[in-house]
Amino acid sequence: MIIFFQSLISGILVGGVYALIGIGLTIIFGVMRIINFAHGDILMVGMYLTYGLFTLLGIDPFLSILITIPLMFLYGGFLQKVFINRVLNALPQNQILLTIGLGLIMSNTMMLIYTSDYKILTTPYSSSSLKILGLSISEPLAISFVITAVITAMLYWFLMKTDTGQAIRATAQNREAAQLMGINVKRMSIIAFGLGASLAGTAGALISPTYYIFPQIGSTFTLKAFVITVLGGMGSVVGATLGGIIIGVAESMGAVYISSGWKDVVVFVLFLLVLLFKPSGLMGKTRM
Amino acid sequence: MNMKIFLANIAGYSPVKILLTIAVLAFLFLFPHFVENPYALHIMILLFLSTIMGESWNILGGYTGQYSVGHAAYFGTGAYITMMLMQYRQVPPWYGVWAGAAVVVVVALVIGSICFRLRGPYFVLASIAVAEIMRLSALNLKDITNGAEGILATEIPPLKIGATVVTDFLSKVPFYYTGLTFALLTIAVTYLVQHSKLGYYFQAIREDQDAAHSLGINLSLYKNISLVISAILTSLAGSFYAVYIGFIDPSTVFPLDISVQIVLICIIGGIGTIFGPVIGALVLVPLSEALRSNMIAEAIFKTGMVTEESGPGQFLKENLAHAHALIYGILVVIVILFMPDGVLGFMKKLLAKRMK
Repeated sequence: MIIFFQSLISGILVGGVYALIGIGLTIIFGVMRIINFAHGDILMVGMYLTYGLFTLLGIDPFLSILITIPLMFLYGGFLQKVFINRVLNALPQNQILLTIGLGLIMSNTMMLIYTSDYKILTTPYSSSSLKILGLSISEPLAISFVITAVITAMLYWFLMKTDTGQAIRATAQNREAAQLMGINVKRMSIIAFGLGASLAGTAGALISPTYYIFPQIGSTFTLKAFVITVLGGMGSVVGATLGGIIIGVAESMGAVYISSGWKDVVVFVLFLLVLLFKPSGLMGKTRM
Repeated sequence: MNMKIFLANIAGYSPVKILLTIAVLAFLFLFPHFVENPYALHIMILLFLSTIMGESWNILGGYTGQYSVGHAAYFGTGAYITMMLMQYRQVPPWYGVWAGAAVVVVVALVIGSICFRLRGPYFVLASIAVAEIMRLSALNLKDITNGAEGILATEIPPLKIGATVVTDFLSKVPFYYTGLTFALLTIAVTYLVQHSKLGYYFQAIREDQDAAHSLGINLSLYKNISLVISAILTSLAGSFYAVYIGFIDPSTVFPLDISVQIVLICIIGGIGTIFGPVIGALVLVPLSEALRSNMIAEAIFKTGMVTEESGPGQFLKENLAHAHALIYGILVVIVILFMPDGVLGFMKKLLAKRMK
């Protein structure tokens, strides 16, 4: 039983970060109806940004998100303004290919700068763990979960209570109607992509003490982000939060009860089942 | 297609076109007789391989409009079946290839029955997920596939007809002709598809699924036929790659990168055209080889912008070779933003402007 709770806890903790990745993707999809295949690569950029800040300036990875969040927001806005904006009315497959291309550029540029060697970001607390009720909890995972919870709460508040947040939700619900109501849809798109990128980048920063850092890590997280958002329902922030936790738990349970090699297969099979039997996801369509 | 239409089609072409085709074919068949440089042959073989990959995806993606980003599933399955039969059961690859293709048909029908229930982006995502499941299975079924260690070909048995040895596969020349044959075969299949009733069904589905359906076209039947043709040709590419390189593992024949590369060859050249993938291969292979073999870095040194000894020079020399996929990314962004019909379509438009 202790093993069950142990894997449940670590699944939930990892799931928190997954939720952050999924929320970013779902906001971008909700507002622009574009599936961002570069999402994992943006996360990878966030990881390297954290790594760079840590090795060059010695800034703690969890503190560095104060720098990562605004920088990644600007980066996302830049991507939206320069590239994505031009294909908003193009064929969906061209949109997908454009983001795949951007992802390739990001991962290969990072390879040019840092080579494809695996990097490890070692902090004093990287391998320490807390003991609570007989369960051992990884300290960096616990810290990142707390930060994730705070960020998610702030994001809900932003989307629900502020004018900009409401404008973003309106754009997601009906782009044309939002435009008729005087909402600057283009600006909302830039903000949405910026938000998505900064959430992915923050997730990258939060996992950098516990994961290997290498340029090709992106595609793994892109796939995970899809699974999470489809599971929760494309465009639904609540769904993505739930989806992240479910995938985190499914992975850690799969690793314990089946085998660590097959845990990703469990996730993909779950994904296909959701696609086939409940394509609108757990939380229905396009609610934000 | 019957003979009459075929002849009428031939007659419809201008003599210049026919002569040009014959000249190109003659050049390709005689090439190894004049050029013995193994590197030149290697580049040509890579060109054939890319052409086969792009051409086969084109049937499903270009003509039928189903954007699969999971073609690595068929590439890898073909490669694995051929290699496993050759290494563990001593089946020569020229039989193994067809066994691989047969297995791929079954795999394709299973994948098709799952993925074709979905449309648009959901289809793309499902195709990726299935290919990833295949990769992870190849990685984890260690008893059958040798897991992450992969399979190394120790020797390729010579091709015999009766008692006479046709070729022993010791040099690159037999691979050249095999690649050329497969490439011509895929181009011929694409041609037949484009000019047949089947091809018109495919294109109707691409243009408007619901309209095609209301005209009585059985969507899932024809999508599956298109997928099977495409998958068989992709598996030929995979088997050919495996035997030519002589080593496979899950991360070289099953990764997402292969699926993406297959799509890019097509997109960059021009989607839904017979020669688009050929153009795509002609653009991509030399560029990525030039990066891989550091020719670009050396060219930059020659222009004198950066000297080889300087810091940035050293950096370029060491790292540019590792980033040959960068060119794929840059090209695809340029193509999508500025030439949505691919290089071929772009050149045609340019020509049309000149003609005016």
